[in-house]
Amino acid sequence: MSPRRLVALALLLLPLVAGAAPKKLVLLFTGDNGGEIAPCG
Amino acid sequence: MPVLALDAGNALFKGLADGQDPTAKLRAGLLLEQMGAQGYTAMAVGQRDLVLGVDFLKKKTKGAKLKLLSANLVDAKGQRLFPASVVTTVGGLKVGIVGVSPASPDPKVPAGGTDGSALLPPGVQGQPVQPAVAAEVKRLREKEQVDLVVVLAAVPYVEAVRLAQGADGVDFVVQSHDGRGVGMAQRQGVSTLVPPGERGRQVAKLEVSVEGTGPFADLSEANRARESQRLVEANIARVNERLKAEKNEDTRRSLQETLASFEARRDALGRTAAASGPTSGRTYLLTYVQLGADVASDAAVQQQVERVEPPGSAGH
Repeated sequence: MSPRRLVALALLLLPLVAGAAPKKLVLLFTGDNGGEIAPCG
Repeated sequence: MPVLALDAGNALFKGLADGQDPTAKLRAGLLLEQMGAQGYTAMAVGQRDLVLGVDFLKKKTKGAKLKLLSANLVDAKGQRLFPASVVTTVGGLKVGIVGVSPASPDPKVPAGGTDGSALLPPGVQGQPVQPAVAAEVKRLREKEQVDLVVVLAAVPYVEAVRLAQGADGVDFVVQSHDGRGVGMAQRQGVSTLVPPGERGRQVAKLEVSVEGTGPFADLSEANRARESQRLVEANIARVNERLKAEKNEDTRRSLQETLASFEARRDALGRTAAASGPTSGRTYLLTYVQLGADVASDAAVQQQVERVEPPGSAGH
């Protein structure tokens, strides 16, 4: 493959590599609140 | 980082007899309003959320963004009482959230058994947990093409463990029912069981990173392994120092055996750290945010709370 074609291929693949960053998310969970609405105990 | 807030259920009432308390209805109403105002997306319906019946819950959440979920609660005609799931896209990830409630006790099993069921109000039937969740997860994976599935499991712990061990396509199972409090995320077969904390004393914070497919790796495992590796390396250095100075052949042999066992341990910890390290495609890290006295109250919410539970009242 000619160097020019290699450069073109690299340029084509670049956005795919750049877009492969992991997706991040914070999940906040509560549970078993048991009717508490104010600090106690 | 984008945030998704979810409740695993059993949020609204102190106990099954709480319906007798005149403030119980006000408290439950305030909790539902505030969960909506604070941006919660969904909550599973637990046994202790049903104290004032299904109609109370439906009325209080009519038109609200907060969705109450249960894949297995049905009425006397077998009609589902709540949606089984909700799908939301956050941070570029399509997340399927399933709610599940306890199964009604099997009349053939003696009361007080440990089959993972729970008594429900008259007219409300809890169908078996695992088939209900499996059917909904299959739908979410195949039809909705979600990236992540979270099951809010308002079921006894024993049932949540069974669910996590066998629920294909589920990434996280968040359990409420027994008030087990905080803990470590536990890999159970195909998915990870997450304790959400209890009684509003903390918020479980699960930081998720998704790249590609495959099982999730626990970053805290890698962190713990690296920490242990450092301790073992310090021990190896001490044994090597002693070996340099030791002349007695028997003692030297014993030290060399100790050294070999420490080195094997260090290498095993290195493999654990590498296998669950940040290079993996899908990782999570669970921590808890404690909601102690150092966290300031919102003045407007505080006022509403004090209308229901004045300072110095029995509720405080």
